[in-house]
Amino acid sequence: MKLLLAEDEKSLSNALVTILEKNHYSVDAVYDGAAALEYLAANVYDGAILDVMMPKADGITVLKTLRREGNMIPVIILTARSDIADKVNGLDSGANDYLAKPFDSRELLARIRTMIRVQNPPDEKVMQTGNIQLNPETLELSSESSSFRLAGKEFQMMEILMTNPDSLIETDYFMEKVWGSDCGEEKQVVWVYISFLRKKLKALHANIRIADVDRKGYRLVTV
Amino acid sequence: MTDEEFYKEALGVLRDAESYLLSLIGQYRDSSPIISCKSRIKSAQSMVEKLERQGFEITLQSALEKVYDAVGIRIICGFVDDVYHVSEWLENCSGIEIIHRKDYIAYPKPNGYRSLHLCLRIREGTAAGTLAEIQIRTMAIDFWATLEHKLKYKHKIPHEDLIRRELKRCADEIAATDMSMQTIRDMLADENF
Repeated sequence: MKLLLAEDEKSLSNALVTILEKNHYSVDAVYDGAAALEYLAANVYDGAILDVMMPKADGITVLKTLRREGNMIPVIILTARSDIADKVNGLDSGANDYLAKPFDSRELLARIRTMIRVQNPPDEKVMQTGNIQLNPETLELSSESSSFRLAGKEFQMMEILMTNPDSLIETDYFMEKVWGSDCGEEKQVVWVYISFLRKKLKALHANIRIADVDRKGYRLVTV
Repeated sequence: MTDEEFYKEALGVLRDAESYLLSLIGQYRDSSPIISCKSRIKSAQSMVEKLERQGFEITLQSALEKVYDAVGIRIICGFVDDVYHVSEWLENCSGIEIIHRKDYIAYPKPNGYRSLHLCLRIREGTAAGTLAEIQIRTMAIDFWATLEHKLKYKHKIPHEDLIRRELKRCADEIAATDMSMQTIRDMLADENF
């Protein structure tokens, strides 16, 4: 993980670099807003920490410039404790988070971790219900015996069913989530896709099945 | 080695077996007909290779008694259900005895291969006693198999893992389409639709 630190107080900057590197981040330190923009334009970073009060260009100006140019890099701004206006202004200018000085380095590390986690959500997990697995990455519906690669909408329907096993899922809900509320599609389409999935579950020797619920919708049940 | 040198006088019997099975399959009648039917006598060279691979003696006797596919028939159907109908029909034919049935459609091979294999013995006629193998599969999977077959005879495959993985993905995608086509056909046949 590579970070840019823009902080004009040399002693604070040095201390932060030491702490960040100890925590396995690689850090480029700059001491004014112009250098920050230069580095951010020339390199790819996973995140930036910008002090608000800096020579040449302040942190808010740097942030606004980045966002105006379409750079959505995660940014934490460092503000003076008392200055509510800076915090509000920073967040409104596109900061992901702020930290008021003086701060504890443990809090800064936690906020960096949060910032990076939000940016890179963990890989979607393979879902399992009964003897059936659904892999969001490959769109593969599989059992011990065989596997099928689902079409996009089939996958979305199966995903809804497997995330809510045993719950009634109304036809309207599928329509809205998978096809969009004003797609102009007939409701029959849900039944057609349910039929595709039922056939495939059967061919996989599944111990789960999609049951009809009083013409209202469907329910994924264990056989 | 030529086929005549290897199979000797048995070659005539194998040819009889081949035509017996082709004419038997010709009697199949269904609203959803067989799309095509191919047959072959296994070449001497691939027979020898197979015997070696499976650790059998390289003799005519092993070729006729240990291996089922000296005579091979391949039946191509349109839909998955047709494959099972043809198989059921064959299993009920009195002229042949099914020794075993391997359902690689319900239980595909790890590479994604899907087919229904019937290993059988002919009971009547001049080829009585001869072993044969009938493979039944859908047109879509047959298309896949033509490419998969090429890998078997290629010694060096660039990016082999990647190619095999992608080919497996195609098999799963084709099988999924086969299933969806079958589902739509069932819907059209359903009077309540």
